[in-house]
Amino acid sequence: MDGHYLGAMNTTAEEYVVPVEYGISSTRMEIDRFIVPTVTIFIALLLFFFMLFPLWSILQLSFFEGGQFGIANFTLANFKKYFTTSYTLNALWHSLYVSVATTIIVTILVFFFAYAMTRTTISGKTFFRNVIMMPLVAPSIIQALALIYLFGRNGLITAHFLKIDWNIYGATGIIVSEVLYCLPHAFVILYTTLSAVDIRLDEAAESLGATPLKVFTRITLPSAKYGIFSAAALTFNLTITDFGNPVVIGADYNVLATEIYAQVTNLYRFDLGATISIILLVPSLMAFILNYYISRKTFAMISGAAKPVIPPSRPLKKISFTIYCCLVSFSIIIIFATVVIGSFVKIWPYDWSLTLSHYKFPSIGGYSAIWTSVWVSIFVGIGGSFITLVAGYVMETRKPFFKQFIYLLSVMPAAIPGLVMGLGYILAFNKPYYFFYGTPWIIVINVIICNFTLGILSSISNLRNIDPSIEEASISLGGDTIKTFFKIIFPLSRVAFFQNFVYFFMRSMTTISAVIFLVSATVHLAAIEIIMLDNDGWTASANAMCTCIIVIVLIMLGILQIVSKKTGTHQEGLVSAL
Amino acid sequence: MKRVGLLMVCVAVALSITLGVAVAKETVVVYTSLENEEVVDYLELAKKDLPGLDIQAIRLSTGELGARMLAERDNPQADCIWGWAVTNMSEFIPKGMLVPYKPKGWDKIPAHFKNPDGYWTAIDLYAAALVPNTKVLASKNLPMPNGWNDLLNPVYKDMLIMPNPASSGTGFLQVASLLVMLDPDYKNKPVEKNKAWDFLKELDKNMGQYIKSGSKPAKLTAAGEYAIGCSFAFVYSSLKKKGFPVALVLPEEGAGYELEANALLQGAKHENAAKKFLDWAISTSAMKQYAKFKLGVTYPNIPGPKDLPALSTIKLAPMDFPWQSENRAKILDVWQNLFLR
Repeated sequence: MDGHYLGAMNTTAEEYVVPVEYGISSTRMEIDRFIVPTVTIFIALLLFFFMLFPLWSILQLSFFEGGQFGIANFTLANFKKYFTTSYTLNALWHSLYVSVATTIIVTILVFFFAYAMTRTTISGKTFFRNVIMMPLVAPSIIQALALIYLFGRNGLITAHFLKIDWNIYGATGIIVSEVLYCLPHAFVILYTTLSAVDIRLDEAAESLGATPLKVFTRITLPSAKYGIFSAAALTFNLTITDFGNPVVIGADYNVLATEIYAQVTNLYRFDLGATISIILLVPSLMAFILNYYISRKTFAMISGAAKPVIPPSRPLKKISFTIYCCLVSFSIIIIFATVVIGSFVKIWPYDWSLTLSHYKFPSIGGYSAIWTSVWVSIFVGIGGSFITLVAGYVMETRKPFFKQFIYLLSVMPAAIPGLVMGLGYILAFNKPYYFFYGTPWIIVINVIICNFTLGILSSISNLRNIDPSIEEASISLGGDTIKTFFKIIFPLSRVAFFQNFVYFFMRSMTTISAVIFLVSATVHLAAIEIIMLDNDGWTASANAMCTCIIVIVLIMLGILQIVSKKTGTHQEGLVSAL
Repeated sequence: MKRVGLLMVCVAVALSITLGVAVAKETVVVYTSLENEEVVDYLELAKKDLPGLDIQAIRLSTGELGARMLAERDNPQADCIWGWAVTNMSEFIPKGMLVPYKPKGWDKIPAHFKNPDGYWTAIDLYAAALVPNTKVLASKNLPMPNGWNDLLNPVYKDMLIMPNPASSGTGFLQVASLLVMLDPDYKNKPVEKNKAWDFLKELDKNMGQYIKSGSKPAKLTAAGEYAIGCSFAFVYSSLKKKGFPVALVLPEEGAGYELEANALLQGAKHENAAKKFLDWAISTSAMKQYAKFKLGVTYPNIPGPKDLPALSTIKLAPMDFPWQSENRAKILDVWQNLFLR
């Protein structure tokens, strides 16, 4: 403990010598010295208890006989059983196959899409950018639901237009749905990369006589390579950990995530489920470390002199890129349209008369599940964005003693598959003394922790944009850490706060894998209801539930737009007043 | 400031109202694997019959329910189980996870529908059935099957769908009934030597998919995705009512069946409320409601649904519940190694 206080004191002494001269009272300094380590320790404990402890339970169950830690109990029997049973081992090959395929397809598709957005002068960019972000507002099951309606054994396109016997179930279905699901995630990275790289390099090469192909392969591609790797790593991670799409469209094609669920729920083999979790953790952790390493380099590549002025593209280039972007956007729109229309027609694809009957959900949860989801998500939004902002603030400006360590802990959740975390929560917290088990709070905590990484990264990048002199001014005028945070940092990062709020809200409304083990008789969630409805064969009602979630998330996004516009002007006023 | 104060008052009032309601009613937490659509219907009646109870229920598949109970063993979240396969139930008695309770009206239930010590009390029986899509059969010129043996006909290649016995109780009872019917000597040999596996291997050649839930084969078949779904009887009647082109075939060799039963859980936090619920769950009023869906209920003299054949006219398979319960893990192991790819 002493070490922490000492460290905190040292940094405060070094960095805020000025305020002392301006006469901060000693009690205030005492509070400051107390607050920063307390907050830091609190965040560290939070991540320890709600992230590492559940993971530890999984490790224990997979490596030790009966889950009892001890040298004598150490066993590799579970792993032996896994690698010698052909259908469980196949799940690993299946997972790797679909993830690698998805990664290659998504990276190529999105690279050219981002290229069109940043390096060509096609029109309708705002539209294209908005469309490619659409998959974020829906649970990662909507792709599978729509693809079955279109290309299933009785699909509209396969069986009724083309009249062929081919269908999309299995590996193809998983790959196509994962591709459509991962587009926005990869796009954000590649778009940032391509807009940050100095375009004048391309121009220089061109004016020196390089052919367009040469410019592309020698200049454009190499300058974006870190972004490409990073997008690929993220896509791989998202695909291999996804549960919703494979469970719906995979049919007999089992992947690691669905196999964990099957082992636990069908055979009551929690130990094998934990073992497969560890096996799933390895590739996703590797992709994460690669991404972590690469994304640091990406920042280094971004040139401050980058100029986003794009020379007019040649007509042929413009036309072909417009067609390309239209095709990509069309496939996303068709997914959403299918699910929404599918929720309103009587019997797809036989009876197209409109009906609202699918919105009378034949499940116990029904509409109450939607409301539970909404208020759970509001708590997740507020809690998640507040904690990540405070954590980011403490890490970024107060530089606590073990900043690197806390930082590493906070970015780790991105590497942990939701399903693994959910299983860990059951194993770790289902004891009588953990009063929050079986309440909605465990879901709130789980979703916050699972999405901690992006929240903290965006908080930090936002805080870096705040001029430190404002904060220094506050401190020299006598504000302590708490006051500075609430009076200066919080109002200034209000837009970032709302953005984080919506991000957490959206994740909480749409996540399936993290909470499927945690829903209970008292807490039904809308996203899980979709799985249950589909599982029972009420596909149209599953579509209807999906539509409800999309509408709610869109409403929340609309509110954010209005709020951020309002606070945007307010913020300027505040800054000028200071 | 005033506005904030007003808001606080509103929140306080809202909170006290919700808490007040929660205090006035006794809570009972119920796990069930009855089909969602029935449960919604039954719960409406239960709310009317038991106004003092706040019934919190979740529907889980047969496998999911067992996994939940095991996971929550140290800290049971549920008070009782309602309508869960007896095969699975029996595995949990030796684990000490059930408490004997003989609900009111227990005596009226015939002895073969209840555990003699009161660990479980069955409410209904549901039977395996083949549900063909008549339109698909006609358009592909396929014959109407009469039973399991007809399904081996190569014309049905990839046109059949069946539940995965590991995740679905329906799938399990289908496989278990075949194991018992096709090998009269099943008791005296290890599970993997059973003659029925050869039959299942032949059947596998025609199987388009093994799917997680027991009702979904019928529903996907109704939607035209397959020609014949191996499912259970009442899902047929609900699809027929909705206007799907489906037929009902009870296998001529004998329809496998399963009992669905209720039980009180060890460590129930609301034991009294759970007992009230379990009393209601075998009351005449509840039984009459079950009979709207189920092929047969365990109270005598309550007729089944009009659109299903009467239970007495159906040839049931000779199920051996103690044997299949004891060998469940082994049966699933053999099945998964043979048929999961």
